[in-house]
Amino acid sequence: MGLEEKLPEGIITTQLEALVNWSRENSTWPLLFGLACCAIEMIATGTARHDISRYGSELFRASPRQADLMIVSGRVSNKMAPVIKRLYDQMSDPKWVIAMGICASAGGPFNNYAIIQGVDKIIPVDVYVPGCPPRPEALLYALDKLRAKQAKDTFRTYAARQATPSSTQRGEIESLEALRQLQPA
Amino acid sequence: MLDVAPRVRQYEILPSLQPPGIPAVAPLPTGESEDTRRIAERFGDAVLAAGLHHGQQVVYIKPEQLVALAEFAKTDPHLRYETLIDVSAVDRSELPVSDHRFHTVYQLRSYSRKQHLMIVCPLDDGDEPTAPSLTGVYSGATWPEREVWDLMGIRFAGHPDPRRILMPENWPNHPLQKQVPLGGEEVPFTLTWEDPEFESLGKQILEAKSAPPKLPPGMSLEHMVINLGPHHPSTHGVLRLVVELDGETVVNVDADLGYLHSGFEKTGENKRYKDFVYYTDRMDYLTAMSNNLGYCLAVEKLLGVEIPPRAQALRVIMAELQRIASHLFWLSTHVLDVSGTGMSLLMYATRERERILDLFEMVCGARLTVGYMRIGGVSRDIPPAFLPHLEEFLKIMPEQIDDYERMLTHGPLWSERLIGIGKITREEALDMGLTGPMLRGSGVDWDLRRDAPYSGYENYDFKVPVANEGDCYARYLVRMEEMRQSLRIIRQAVDNLPDGPYRAEDRKITPPPRAELDISMEALIHHFKLMTEGFHVPPGMAYQGIESSKGELGFFIYSDGTARPYRLHVRGPSFNNLYAISKMSKGHMLSDVITNIGSIDIVLGEVDR
Repeated sequence: MGLEEKLPEGIITTQLEALVNWSRENSTWPLLFGLACCAIEMIATGTARHDISRYGSELFRASPRQADLMIVSGRVSNKMAPVIKRLYDQMSDPKWVIAMGICASAGGPFNNYAIIQGVDKIIPVDVYVPGCPPRPEALLYALDKLRAKQAKDTFRTYAARQATPSSTQRGEIESLEALRQLQPA
Repeated sequence: MLDVAPRVRQYEILPSLQPPGIPAVAPLPTGESEDTRRIAERFGDAVLAAGLHHGQQVVYIKPEQLVALAEFAKTDPHLRYETLIDVSAVDRSELPVSDHRFHTVYQLRSYSRKQHLMIVCPLDDGDEPTAPSLTGVYSGATWPEREVWDLMGIRFAGHPDPRRILMPENWPNHPLQKQVPLGGEEVPFTLTWEDPEFESLGKQILEAKSAPPKLPPGMSLEHMVINLGPHHPSTHGVLRLVVELDGETVVNVDADLGYLHSGFEKTGENKRYKDFVYYTDRMDYLTAMSNNLGYCLAVEKLLGVEIPPRAQALRVIMAELQRIASHLFWLSTHVLDVSGTGMSLLMYATRERERILDLFEMVCGARLTVGYMRIGGVSRDIPPAFLPHLEEFLKIMPEQIDDYERMLTHGPLWSERLIGIGKITREEALDMGLTGPMLRGSGVDWDLRRDAPYSGYENYDFKVPVANEGDCYARYLVRMEEMRQSLRIIRQAVDNLPDGPYRAEDRKITPPPRAELDISMEALIHHFKLMTEGFHVPPGMAYQGIESSKGELGFFIYSDGTARPYRLHVRGPSFNNLYAISKMSKGHMLSDVITNIGSIDIVLGEVDR
């Protein structure tokens, strides 16, 4: 009402937030980064049958600076963990993480000396995908979930996230209460 | 009046389920073969025992004479063991023995005589043992011996490069030693914030500390040293290569492994035999069926169980389908790295690969980590829709392979980037212990399916493609032809698919059919025992190698008579083949390193295990 009537055809009005979120949802570029079995299913998601480009995510970027989404596809070993943390820190904001498969989510069948029990011990995770490995459809569903999350993002929460460090450093958290206060409202 | 006295029924006592007797102090060989007699005559008292064990030639040798024995086995005209396939070790500290805590175990192969020899070397020095290094005789021992040092803590005297290989440099222990616990965390099953499990939440976060760069031995900072990986689009996973460059020419390459080390061997030693089948899927996740097969065959060798013909044929069909799927994936990623045709071949090849995955899904419900094989057979019979779909696949696939070849084989870009790159001579391939297409691309006519047949491969008619050039192009041609030969094998297997049970009818190993559980108490007991305790495997040791798509995949199992393997070792073909990367890349351009990685066809899950 009001403004739309006075505008010529072909112009719509929207909120800036909705516009930004719409563009983020439809061009979430993942990091070209595979770890184990799930990486093979991730590649399968990228090929013709499952076609991840329907989601605008077919551009797997080799450089973390150009990537928006890290799909942790496989088990994370003690030797690899610092590398993953470094890669995550190198990605520019806004950035999201999908823990693909049970190993990345919680260690999976590898509850032993070598494997970190869930990548959320080193980086924050937005969507967890169950499966060993998850089917490509499951990964696409996770992207759907991520889009729903991206659609709810507002500038205020985004700014609050900027104010806190992108990752929590060891020693910065004294108690669980302090951790909760660090989180944006 | 009714007779209410309890009825006592005598159940058959299952010998394999009885508590085991004294565990195997050392699985001693009996009898003798020509080779073991010859070795025993030559080395006299240094040979502690020699003979046959589960049909394998085994020699126990004192460490002083180990190098001499290896040299003798390699050079003696009657023995001619050209290749060292594998090095592993057993920590016997949990067995009721007090001496010789560590044994090192070597697998030798003679390609010209089609023989396999296992050498066991008991080490004297207690908890910090030293073994003589075989790198002077077989250079292929370099990496396996580093792995034994890393995981088992055995030093090798005379080793040229005694560093850790899989674990981080500062790792406090050698994880495969028996006193080192499996590790891991307790799983919290509660969900309130007050639970003590959450106390550590947020404090486990690791700092991404930069390790000060260490220059691998043999490299000099006069040249440029660059780091390729572990996050690099062309390393097929998390491989890290340190490359020393003079301009753009590669002077030296050092591989840093272990970024996907998952402790498979330690995990296997803590699982029942039947439970490890599913872990093998996740080792080389592109050839899950072959991994299943290799592990099951190794356990079956110890059990001495007979596999019904239908199960064998099904296993062959699945293993060959998996070989095609794996080669298709190799082809598509290799082309993606090398030739610049963009994504097109990746799309074409994965289109056919998806058909194979559909077939797998039909038989077992999973696409990638199939877990289809069981010790004693396969998990279930094929559904009726399987064969028509397979027929269709067999019909279209040869044309598709021709299609790929038309896009590549005579293409100027493809041949320019492959011909003459990564050359390995026949002698080098044997010396480095390469297997699979890496070996056949260098002119060695060897295929375990033909030369040491298992699962009834002797009944199929197929050719083993061999090329003599030893470069990346030769390996490409070998793999393309292997896909065609696999199709031939599947064709024959489908045409002659026998009827009958799909798993052994041995109730001590395979569970009874569901219908029997309702009517037979005995079946119920068998089922309960199998599902809770698992089955016991007689004491002994077995090495079983199979021809996986990447080379010889070997499983070494040392059983002490309980329901879990005492020692489980995997010989991953990619691990040993990757050792060649340094030799292949020296003197070539940096971009050829990528070609070589693709040509070796590595899967990091199996390299690092």
